[in-house]
Amino acid sequence: MSLIVADDLVKEFSRPVRAEGAFAGVRSLFSTKRVTNRAVDGVSLRIEPGEIVGYLGPNGAGKSTTIKMLTGVLVPTSGTVTVNGIVPWRDRSANARTIGAVFGQRTQLWLDLPLRDSFDVLAKLYGVGPVAYRRTLDEFVDLLDMGSFLDRPARNLSLGQRMRGDLVAAMLHEPPVLYLDEPTVGLDVVAKARIREFIRERNRTAGTTVLLTTHDIGDVEQLCDRVVIIDDGRTLFDGDLGALRRTYLPHRTLTVELSEPEPHGWSIDDVHHAGTRAHHEATLLDLHFDPGVVSTSEAISRTTATLPVADLTVREPELEEVITEIYTAREVRHVG
Amino acid sequence: MSAEVDLAGRRSIGEALALRAALVRQGTRSVLVFRTDLFVGIVSTLLRVVLVLLVWQAVYGDRTTVSGIAREDAVGYAVLGALFAAAMQPFQFSSLRDRVRTGNVVFDIMRPVSLITQSTADQLGTTLASIPKAAVGLALALALGAVPGPSTAWQTVAFAVSSLLGLVIAIQCNLIVGLTAFWTTEVGGAYLVYNMAAAFCSGSLIPLWFMPDGLAGVLRALPFSAQIFTPLSIWFDRDAGWNVVGALALQVGWIVVLAFAAHLIWLRALRRTVINGG
Repeated sequence: MSLIVADDLVKEFSRPVRAEGAFAGVRSLFSTKRVTNRAVDGVSLRIEPGEIVGYLGPNGAGKSTTIKMLTGVLVPTSGTVTVNGIVPWRDRSANARTIGAVFGQRTQLWLDLPLRDSFDVLAKLYGVGPVAYRRTLDEFVDLLDMGSFLDRPARNLSLGQRMRGDLVAAMLHEPPVLYLDEPTVGLDVVAKARIREFIRERNRTAGTTVLLTTHDIGDVEQLCDRVVIIDDGRTLFDGDLGALRRTYLPHRTLTVELSEPEPHGWSIDDVHHAGTRAHHEATLLDLHFDPGVVSTSEAISRTTATLPVADLTVREPELEEVITEIYTAREVRHVG
Repeated sequence: MSAEVDLAGRRSIGEALALRAALVRQGTRSVLVFRTDLFVGIVSTLLRVVLVLLVWQAVYGDRTTVSGIAREDAVGYAVLGALFAAAMQPFQFSSLRDRVRTGNVVFDIMRPVSLITQSTADQLGTTLASIPKAAVGLALALALGAVPGPSTAWQTVAFAVSSLLGLVIAIQCNLIVGLTAFWTTEVGGAYLVYNMAAAFCSGSLIPLWFMPDGLAGVLRALPFSAQIFTPLSIWFDRDAGWNVVGALALQVGWIVVLAFAAHLIWLRALRRTVINGG
């Protein structure tokens, strides 16, 4: 059975309507009108043990709200969730021991006290025995290279150090499920790499299942086997990265450097002109073709037969382009 | 790994106590880590003792009793009341307000121990951190002869017990005010009103002895007076008897009622939780 099962999750928030016109501020205070906003609108999700799933979507798509329902912090307006067979918001105590969470924009550390003190208390909170605690802490501190700042107050740490602290805080009780909500936001490349390495390591050695929200394509490319994309509270896509590319940007790009000026009125069967740009002295043409329609070698030979080619490269669309395409188009397309 | 996780989360009593002690310690140390703040707190408490002493001595002038209250009792009460207020009615009671505002409360909710336990322990820790300044203030008050000792040994014990119960009640009231943050998000205003009400109604500013009968009756029926007035009136009771047991029983009653109320409010708050920020 799947480790995380969510069916038709819906979460609505209602807030008072802001009055407009004269004395709007005062009138808003006494307004009884409320508007309802559906942050999550029928999301269903199944995650198997040991998966690392990227949960993507533009700002305000409903990602964090979904995660808060999965962690049991928010009670769904409708729909059901079970994590490891537990309904998170109903059986909080059992759920707490099953999950760990990092919310990149927040911290669960005691900011005024040394990092180590926070870990000591968390170990007690989660009932981690002294032997297991020492073992995990040593291992994590080693993996994340935290020895130099364990005894400094969390408030004085850099963002990257604090994030590592929060990651350890979430993992001390070795939960089978880890939720990461933007764990690399604002971090430099080295700090990001360290955190990714840690996540991968925990997934490999302890089989930790990870649900990861991020705006960093590197996180997705390096960690996730599967992505789920949502927008406006609805699921747009659920599948592996290859399927994502094939679905949204099925073309490949053939970039041609011309040895002579571009001829007028050229055309090539199944190869489309996508753009012309100057690069130093040379002119570059971007051509698109669909490998399902015409093979790469055929597209190249047709191109060299028609255009004065000095140099040429073929590449797959970057994941970033795929995501940009999805966020911009914001429409549902089915996996072919 | 996951097999080792004890989902039922059963703890022995020893473990449960150790956990709470650790939470209390975090609260205390989070305050004491700011040494300048501690130093300023001690100086302001000493000032408070001296000022209260001077004002109440001036109020009495040459008289030995006012409204049937002896001069040394009124002065002693005022000084002790100021010390209780310094310890039990700090400007910021609990971190709950900030945690709701910033959304960090999300972590408290996710933990296997309830937010009420975490928050209560944290507040107890914060209060314990103000014991040093109250102790220095008490030392000064005793040195100046501003506070007469209690009449009997058992009264001293009853006073200590009652102070402890009063502290629990103060923490519970603070918690309930803090929990309203789940509805209003910002409880700065509620805290201000509560602060003023608590200072007046608990009898830390003016002993309830001096209030008109009707008002005093109402105030005695509120949980505020059980925070500070009850222990202080045990200290100054010249004719202590079974009424002390009654006062202690009333405090225990308040603790039960407030615990129940806090729990109910918390269950409702959980249902309507909104976490600020993305």
